[in-house]
Amino acid sequence: MRLQLRRLLPLLVLVAGTPARAADNPTEASARVTYFQEPSTLNRGIRVVHPQVDVSAPVGGGVGIAAGWEADAVTGATPTVFAPHEGVDAITAATNFTDFRQQAHGALSYDRADSGIAASYAYGWEHDYRSHSLSVTTHDDLYDHNFTLALSYTHNWDSVCDANNAATASTLELHALTSSQHCFTAGATDVVTHRLNIDAVEPSLSWTMTPRLVVQGGGTIQILDGFQSNPYRRVLVGSQHQEPQEHEPTYRQRYAVFARAAYAFPQWRASALAMGRLYQDSWAMQAVTADLQVNKYLAPWILLTVRGHLHVQSGASFYRDGLGYRVSGPVGQYWTGDRELSPMSNTLIGGRLAFLRRPQQEHSSWFAEMEADVKYELLRYQLESINAPNWDRPYAHILQGSFALRF
Amino acid sequence: MRCRSISRLLAILALAGAALAGGGCSVSKWTVRPHQRELLADRIMQLDAEAQERAAEEHILSNREGAVGGSGTSGGGCGCN
Repeated sequence: MRLQLRRLLPLLVLVAGTPARAADNPTEASARVTYFQEPSTLNRGIRVVHPQVDVSAPVGGGVGIAAGWEADAVTGATPTVFAPHEGVDAITAATNFTDFRQQAHGALSYDRADSGIAASYAYGWEHDYRSHSLSVTTHDDLYDHNFTLALSYTHNWDSVCDANNAATASTLELHALTSSQHCFTAGATDVVTHRLNIDAVEPSLSWTMTPRLVVQGGGTIQILDGFQSNPYRRVLVGSQHQEPQEHEPTYRQRYAVFARAAYAFPQWRASALAMGRLYQDSWAMQAVTADLQVNKYLAPWILLTVRGHLHVQSGASFYRDGLGYRVSGPVGQYWTGDRELSPMSNTLIGGRLAFLRRPQQEHSSWFAEMEADVKYELLRYQLESINAPNWDRPYAHILQGSFALRF
Repeated sequence: MRCRSISRLLAILALAGAALAGGGCSVSKWTVRPHQRELLADRIMQLDAEAQERAAEEHILSNREGAVGGSGTSGGGCGCN
């Protein structure tokens, strides 16, 4: 869980740390809180509170600055060992845990009439993980702003705490980390620090096709090099009841291509946005994702958004369910209890109401726009078998509230 | 093999983008004039959600799915301002 929160940080930093195009946007301050609850039929499940605070402002000459902070306060229970949910080997014991992660980020941007560049830095830290991330994004408008070519690059220097397994003769004897108490402490001999470097490149091309239609195509290439397992997780492997630490490859290449479109329905004061994505990686995982969103102004000051999301993926080449690892042993030299590496599909449906207040021009006001949003989404997981990871957590509630002021 | 096919697809996309960018004369007839961008400038036509909301959303989904990408590049957009 904890490592999962970090694995895709480069893309998140890119999103959160990059200021909005300064030439286009006013000074803005915003706060948002997301509550994520994944109930379990066996234990406490997972709860995450995710606050975010961001400010951004143009400082003149096309230069903009942005800064922000966010955190994850996680409480819940996670299975001690990934094992079959049924049969004589069923293990239902779970470990209660709490975790707190923070990230601070800042960004600097320079925008001209038809191009811009932004750089952002983020530092994330928690008891067992540290992350430095640097991102650069450029965009260039072409042909009277009808096309926008954008490119971003992000590099992560991450450090992961793990149990010291230097004396271990075989990967089947790997010990899992049991506590983060000594992590990143000088002189500690029971833990070690692994490196994880992540590079991500994202090109995209947007095209304003008609006064009602905008389309975009692009891709993502991400390369992860370093320790990627969950250091706390153990997997029941083979008939001799060995429970080694999860063991995943240390190198992963990930590729995605996507297309998006937005179409306006002015007669209904509405729009529809659609996205399709194809994904593949060097762990033999393939995925298809589709997203559809409809926006409609119920009144000049109320915006309703309804959204549906579907994601279908195959499993990683070394994935087996709990019974498969127990009966047949590992696939090659790796094993995992990560739900996100299993064959599965996700569906998400939800809606958002945004309340906008824009003072009339004839009235003086200390702000240009005030916005308050509330959002609810239901995320359902369809797993392949009862022995898949986190089978006991089939859905999640996502509740979000936000407030923003623009000057 | 699969990685090679993906690389080939990306190369084709890059070439298509370059051809599009280089074909200025033929593209001009497709351009949307500034006075035609009223609808495009509305927030409901932005492909990228507001940055903070987008970060929160990706934070959740990227940790619940095995895939990444597809949310576009920050700074990209319709150039409608």
